Amino acid sequence: MALRDGRLLPVGVAATLAALVAVFYYPVGSVLLSAVYDGAQFTLSPVRSVVGDPFYHELFAFTAYQALLSTVASVVVGLPGAYLLARFEFPGRRFVRSVTILPFVLPSIMVAVGFLAMFGRTGLVNDVLGAAGLGPVELTFTLEIIVLAHAFYNAPLVTRLVTAAWESVDPARVETARTLGASPFRAFYDVILPQLLPALLTASVLTFVFTFMSFPIVLALGGLELATVEVWLFARVQSLALAEAATLGAIETALSLGLIYVYLRFEATQLNARGESRGRARIPLVAGPRSLVDPKRLALFAYAGAALVLFVGPLVSLVVESVTTPGGQFTLGYYEFLLAQQASTAAGTVRPLPAITNSLLFGAGALVLALPMGVVVSVVATRDSRGSRLSEALLTAPLAVSGIVLGLGMLRTLVFGTTLFGYRLTVTGPVAIVAAHAVAAYPFVSRNVTPALGSIDDRLVDAARALGADRTTALLDIELPLVVPALIAGAAFAFAISVGEFDSTVLLAEGVDSATMPVALERYTGNRSLGPNLGPATAMGTVLLAVTTVSFVLIDRVGRGWAQ
Amino acid sequence: MKRRTFLSGVGATGAIALAGCSAEPVNQTNTPNQSDNTLTVATYSSFTGDGSAGSWLKSNFESEHDATVEFRTPENGLNQFIQRKSESAPIEADMFLGLNTGELVRADEQLDGQLFATADVEGADSVKSELNFDPDGRVIPYDTGYISLVYDEGEVENPGTFDALLEPDYEDALIAQNAQQSDPGRAFLLWTIHEKGPDSYLDYWRGLSDNGVQILSDWEPAYNAYTNEEAPMVVSYSTDQVYYHGEDVDVSRHQVGFLNDQGYANPEGMAQFADADNAELAREFMSFVLTEEAQSEIAVRNVQFPAVEGVEPGGDFGKYALEPPEPVTFGYDELAGNVDGWIEDWAREIASS
Repeated sequence: MALRDGRLLPVGVAATLAALVAVFYYPVGSVLLSAVYDGAQFTLSPVRSVVGDPFYHELFAFTAYQALLSTVASVVVGLPGAYLLARFEFPGRRFVRSVTILPFVLPSIMVAVGFLAMFGRTGLVNDVLGAAGLGPVELTFTLEIIVLAHAFYNAPLVTRLVTAAWESVDPARVETARTLGASPFRAFYDVILPQLLPALLTASVLTFVFTFMSFPIVLALGGLELATVEVWLFARVQSLALAEAATLGAIETALSLGLIYVYLRFEATQLNARGESRGRARIPLVAGPRSLVDPKRLALFAYAGAALVLFVGPLVSLVVESVTTPGGQFTLGYYEFLLAQQASTAAGTVRPLPAITNSLLFGAGALVLALPMGVVVSVVATRDSRGSRLSEALLTAPLAVSGIVLGLGMLRTLVFGTTLFGYRLTVTGPVAIVAAHAVAAYPFVSRNVTPALGSIDDRLVDAARALGADRTTALLDIELPLVVPALIAGAAFAFAISVGEFDSTVLLAEGVDSATMPVALERYTGNRSLGPNLGPATAMGTVLLAVTTVSFVLIDRVGRGWAQ
Repeated sequence: MKRRTFLSGVGATGAIALAGCSAEPVNQTNTPNQSDNTLTVATYSSFTGDGSAGSWLKSNFESEHDATVEFRTPENGLNQFIQRKSESAPIEADMFLGLNTGELVRADEQLDGQLFATADVEGADSVKSELNFDPDGRVIPYDTGYISLVYDEGEVENPGTFDALLEPDYEDALIAQNAQQSDPGRAFLLWTIHEKGPDSYLDYWRGLSDNGVQILSDWEPAYNAYTNEEAPMVVSYSTDQVYYHGEDVDVSRHQVGFLNDQGYANPEGMAQFADADNAELAREFMSFVLTEEAQSEIAVRNVQFPAVEGVEPGGDFGKYALEPPEPVTFGYDELAGNVDGWIEDWAREIASS
């Protein structure tokens, strides 16, 4: 254990930085630089033409507007969920808590199909409204359905992060406030809310950044009429107008990074406000007949009903579509298609089983890389040194960079190869995919771990140091065990992001051997051997849903068992 | 213990990372694992796979020639090779199968050097002359589709003309695709430019917009929305009924509508890369693709019309695939220098509406 004597942390920081430079800063930098370099010549003309174009002003304004609406919707939908999960006990609560991460793995094309099946002109919602004698709602191809789909993806993020914060509220402080005569509302406002605020803001900033960079959902549910910056960026890449695409990417990244930086500064001021806690006891949701007429509980039941429609509806529609023909009859044909693909020996066939194992393997690989990276970033973040906010923002930059820019950059540098000292260096296949997934995932690990690490009582660490432990030993033996729940949450995120990642996977997957479940799903979408329908893709989507649900529940349960 | 697993985890992934990298001298031209009789064909993913035209071509070509066919299906299609060429990265394929006129124009406009070679392919002179779209003869068409409308007879009447689509009868009735990234979407846009002229097509589209046309990303989501009854008309192919016919199918939901008695032809072509390792084999393969037997199989399996004169695929395809009375299309010279600007102006019009 030569690394033990306080050198592990610097080594960890160096390794994280090296990995980031190789698979993130270098590829992304090479793309963004083409905004200001024309060949070898420095130029400002692409930037000038974008900044001076009224069309782009409108595009950025609309993108920000829909991101704001989406953020508000995600908070409105996610917050009551956090209240329900953090404060009430009911059968299946732990299961519901683990599966709040599921939307992260769902490829947007599936979600779009589910949403259309649910909220479309002939969808379930309109059927129910029609039966109740209410007029049909026209949601398809509107801003409303985009905002709703964004809430589908991001409200669970709000729920997850806020639930964790709510569970760590110190019950003694709430009780003290009540004893001193504060009304429940007053106690909430003065004691609980300040402790939820950092988590709520984290979730809101992340949601805003994600929905600002929204691309497939906008294209699939809204169409070009509601184009965002990212939609436009992708189109410029498609027509190989790379300088303009890079300029859009650079502006987008600068805006997102700025937002993340401002947020991190705020978060740093909040960290010290937290105390250690054992958590408050949960109230049973259903306790005798009286609880069924309690207005608070009735409101929660109404909320659960609405959430069921929004979250379970599209997924159920997906499963239903996988066993019904376009004509509405029951069929197992799409699953037979999956079996036939598995048995096939034809070239270029994406087989379902290898796709499943690849997804699980890449997920495990990404998890192994992302956990230490995320912890390193968290440790840097909780140091109160000068510039640590800035370095944290730089280390969190993958969140602020569009998937299209990253994918394009990786392709141009790592996959095509880089010439160094007369050798063409290429990184290909599964390694590049795992690296890309880890880069996308580790910010979530650190977003989970940083607040937990920050809330650890300094006196514990000081005591360990006084007893002779060096800084690294204190981190590994005292601090990390205390943040295990946050680490598990981060691990689930890392795994979820890896399983659901599509954009860079599909660019980096070489041939069919490194295809993952979402890639298989996309390939089956384009397979018209059963006619032009999404049946095979919905069957693969159902398999994806099943495999990942089981994985998360396992990560959650095993992790929690280990923590206790 | 946890600390040790943590450390060994980091160490192990480091080793894997090294194993996934490769370094080869730049001046080495042939990759050593490329055997002389392997033909690498780059194409789009739905062309390969079980029961596809690609898998038929592979097994039949391999049984007739002492060769192995390998397919590559990069997600960004031809762009991958344009970018490789412009970055001087190895092309790593012998030929490309499945490019259309607009993509060839883009490749030529982006690159100074030649991406494709002019190849003397046996049977190329039997290709229908109206489908040939490369003035330099590098790209040889192997099939074509015709863009048309597909509509639900129970909901709307066949509009018949472009102008009818602006009428109140067709309000919120049409789903089209994004011409920036979708083949049928681009073909439909070009068709309107062909019809209305480069100076007036934006006015026409403003009218379509005002009448509630929806522009979805690609053919699958658009067709799926049509199937879910979001609108009674969709831009699609005139081969729709090849999929939808028979007793348990309501054919009234799958009527093919040509506008102004036209359909926009979107020929697909193949070409040999200028940097191909196996140029000879690529030419033999292209010649094989143009044989009568292969042409019939491609038509049936890829659900597109044959490119070679006199090939008549029988069966369901022959019975249900409809050809427009007057096929129209833009040639290479008409698209060169224009197509990107047309598409961008169109996209700006739609996005800011």
